[in-house]
Amino acid sequence: MEHIVGIADMKVSNRTGDTIVTYSLGSCVGLAIYDPQAGVGGILHYILPNSAIDEIKAKSNPFMFADTGIPELFKQVYALGAEKSRIKVFVAGGAEIMEQEGIFNIGRQNYSALMQILTKNNVSIWKQAVGGYSNRTVEMEIASGKIYLKTSGLGEVQL
Amino acid sequence: MTNLQIVIKEIKNLKPIPAVVTSLLEIIDDPNASMNEITKIIQYDPAITADLLRTANSAYFGLKRPAETIQEAAMMLGTDHVVDLVMLKVSAQVAKGTQKGYDLHEGALWKYSVSSALIAKQVAVQLDLPNKNSIFSASLLKDIGKTVLDKFIRDAFEKISNLVINENFSFMEAEKQIIGVDHAELGAMIAKMWKFSPRMVGIIRNHHLSSETMVRDKDLAVVYLSDCICMMMGMGVGADGLAYRFHPQAMDHIGISAEDTLKIIADFACRMDEVEMLLKLA
Repeated sequence: MEHIVGIADMKVSNRTGDTIVTYSLGSCVGLAIYDPQAGVGGILHYILPNSAIDEIKAKSNPFMFADTGIPELFKQVYALGAEKSRIKVFVAGGAEIMEQEGIFNIGRQNYSALMQILTKNNVSIWKQAVGGYSNRTVEMEIASGKIYLKTSGLGEVQL
Repeated sequence: MTNLQIVIKEIKNLKPIPAVVTSLLEIIDDPNASMNEITKIIQYDPAITADLLRTANSAYFGLKRPAETIQEAAMMLGTDHVVDLVMLKVSAQVAKGTQKGYDLHEGALWKYSVSSALIAKQVAVQLDLPNKNSIFSASLLKDIGKTVLDKFIRDAFEKISNLVINENFSFMEAEKQIIGVDHAELGAMIAKMWKFSPRMVGIIRNHHLSSETMVRDKDLAVVYLSDCICMMMGMGVGADGLAYRFHPQAMDHIGISAEDTLKIIADFACRMDEVEMLLKLA
């Protein structure tokens, strides 16, 4: 079964027939994590770096923000048997509009927010495709943990 | 024939836009226009009238009793809402398909157009701008040029992409350089052919704010901001990616800070169900 992760959304699975896909990450970040031993994976598609701008929205949908969505993603894959030491992390998105500098550069802020959380928790990134002007789509096969990345104008590759 | 001549020939093959749209655009933001004047214009088009009544009476709106005329629908739903629905229905006809050259799947351009129109209207209301209905319509139709330029993008893509990656061109600047016309310019030609007002033609022509002086036009700045927000959210973004230029002065001019932008994005993310519903209705 294909699970589609929408904007400000997350899906996790441990079913071998499943794939999880998130389309069209602009400045948003798609965080895909997978534990090969447990056969558990998940994708989060968050749109903003910090829930402080609207804590009520963060409560009703934690997947909107990096600081509320990322812990929830890890929590849910742990609940399915994943272990932190085995988790492979793939990151895509965080793109920017040309000359979108400083505080208006939401893509970069989204990525920085992720890096802060991962560093604090001693989690490293396996592979990433971030920044630039590209739009990206990420798909994960739960059985194999294979990740496919589609980049606007460039087609799809398996990582 | 040059590339440009071929493209211009293509726009002449487009289906004409229903006359009701041009007439509506002339009065939708006129404070002196009455509900009757607006509903009369819509009634001139029996197909749109029938379609609109079907939508107004759908379960989505939950009217207590069915609207039998456009006047009744306008009274029950509000004139603005009825006008928005007309614009949505008409723009659906032109934007719904696939744009393979831009790598946009079926319905992607359409969903993006609706999203950007909803964001633009929300910001226009927030800023209390008088032309909120025109801003909605302009946002909805601003990328009409892409529907025609699409078939030329595929052949030109490698060259366009080369200019973007290696020469710091925006995608639109590269369209102009390689094909001879960009999607905004082409959209303005189409709008002119459809006899839209010079103001509406101007917004479509300049929706990427290609010159610094344009940031002073508040309506244009709102249309531009909503487009940037959609791009950031990955909506309507295909082969062109996010390779358009960002103009923070436009935000400054309408008094929208970076934090306001984050809030607008968060608000809009909560309206995705509304977008899906509108896509189905139109």
